[in-house]
Amino acid sequence: MFLAVFSPKGSDEVSPDATLMRQLLRRDVGAFEELYERHSRIVYSLVLRILRQGSTAEEVVQDVFLQLWRNSAQYDLSRPFVPWLLTLARNRALDQLRLKSERQRRREEQTEEFPQIASAAPEYERELDEKRRAERVRMLIGSLPTAQKKAIELAYFEGLSHSEIAASLKEPLGTVKSWIRNGLLRLKEGLQAS
Amino acid sequence: MNSNDQFRELIEAYAIGSLDAPERAQVEAHLASGCNDCEKALQEARWLVSQLAYLAPNAEPSDMLKGRLLQTVRAEAAEAAEAGTQRQVVRRAGVPAWLWWLWAGVAALLLFSAYSAWNEKQLRNSVANLQQQAEAQRAERQKLEQELHAAKVQAHEAMIWSDPKSKKIMLSSKDPKMPQLEAMWHPDMGLVVRGWKTPSPGDKRVLQLWLISKKSGKLMPSVTFWPDASGKFSAMVENPPDAMSDTQALAITEEPMGGSQQPTGEPMWVGGVS
Repeated sequence: MFLAVFSPKGSDEVSPDATLMRQLLRRDVGAFEELYERHSRIVYSLVLRILRQGSTAEEVVQDVFLQLWRNSAQYDLSRPFVPWLLTLARNRALDQLRLKSERQRRREEQTEEFPQIASAAPEYERELDEKRRAERVRMLIGSLPTAQKKAIELAYFEGLSHSEIAASLKEPLGTVKSWIRNGLLRLKEGLQAS
Repeated sequence: MNSNDQFRELIEAYAIGSLDAPERAQVEAHLASGCNDCEKALQEARWLVSQLAYLAPNAEPSDMLKGRLLQTVRAEAAEAAEAGTQRQVVRRAGVPAWLWWLWAGVAALLLFSAYSAWNEKQLRNSVANLQQQAEAQRAERQKLEQELHAAKVQAHEAMIWSDPKSKKIMLSSKDPKMPQLEAMWHPDMGLVVRGWKTPSPGDKRVLQLWLISKKSGKLMPSVTFWPDASGKFSAMVENPPDAMSDTQALAITEEPMGGSQQPTGEPMWVGGVS
């Protein structure tokens, strides 16, 4: 069963990120610098991919890390840090992309300021280091048919809805829904299998 | 199919944010009803969706960004430390009165040095603020310059595209599934290549334009570019390495990031110029 892979295992292990976040609560600038060094590249890569403009992307990354510094007390230390940070960065970048648009208002209603991510990290998250997982994700999504991959990218990087993606790709709505769901399930299965 | 199954099928799409308004409202209402299974599935789906970030091409933020952040963070940490010290002083209010007189003399002596230190800190803060403002202005200027440059390029492309002196060149692929690309070459203003629904090159790969010389038959390297998520791109060459009359054809290949001096693969699109 799907939920079985999320069974807590080694929950008493403290990740380096959780340790650094604890130090951040004591206003430790060194811990902040270490967190920035560890994660600024992937955060910037993601935000740049969404916004496609270096200067705006840096503004958003600055905003994300300052939020981390100023509101570190709101982070739940038992939750995996990197997915939480990436979700926060994606939400911020998409908000920027949708500035002053109807879609932005819709997202603000939906998005929590600090996203909730599974408290017990999936088993496969602990077993794959970041570089290997990045390669695995790229390989798994890259193996999907081009149109299916495009549908997932439009949803994730452009923040488009099912009907917007269907219109953009000129494909039936039901097909787009299946592509996105099945693509994500395939990614999950692939990460579980690795 | 029970009610939970119906919502579980929507959880991945809800997590990625692609549900249209009616379905999104249904899922939110169901989650608000307190379904623990779906709430847990949502958190797991959010984790899964966050992994898609690794599809983004690797990029590095500038050193200036780190400098700006650390400057702000250090200033805020110093302010917090100072506020903490003040709180400690207030907590000493319960000591015997005679001690206050004893301390008063010492405090008077310390007051002047404390004032000097405070004054120095104020000055340091002012300098830091001015530096931050200057950084922000530099960033804003850089942003405006980039926007101005983009607008100039767009206007230049539009002129090439609409000028009657420009020659239209169609670039076709051997693969019938690939879209046809268009180029417009103006003898004085340069060359623009455009495409729609163009497949993205692989990871750390770009598309590169080549000009095939009529005299030597050699391929001369030109601009590299990358289509957006919808496959759209527009690439401009203001000063092509050869004149239109000396160019036999245009070709586009997929190359490593940064482009190549010699093509590393077969042309994906080719179009005859003259």
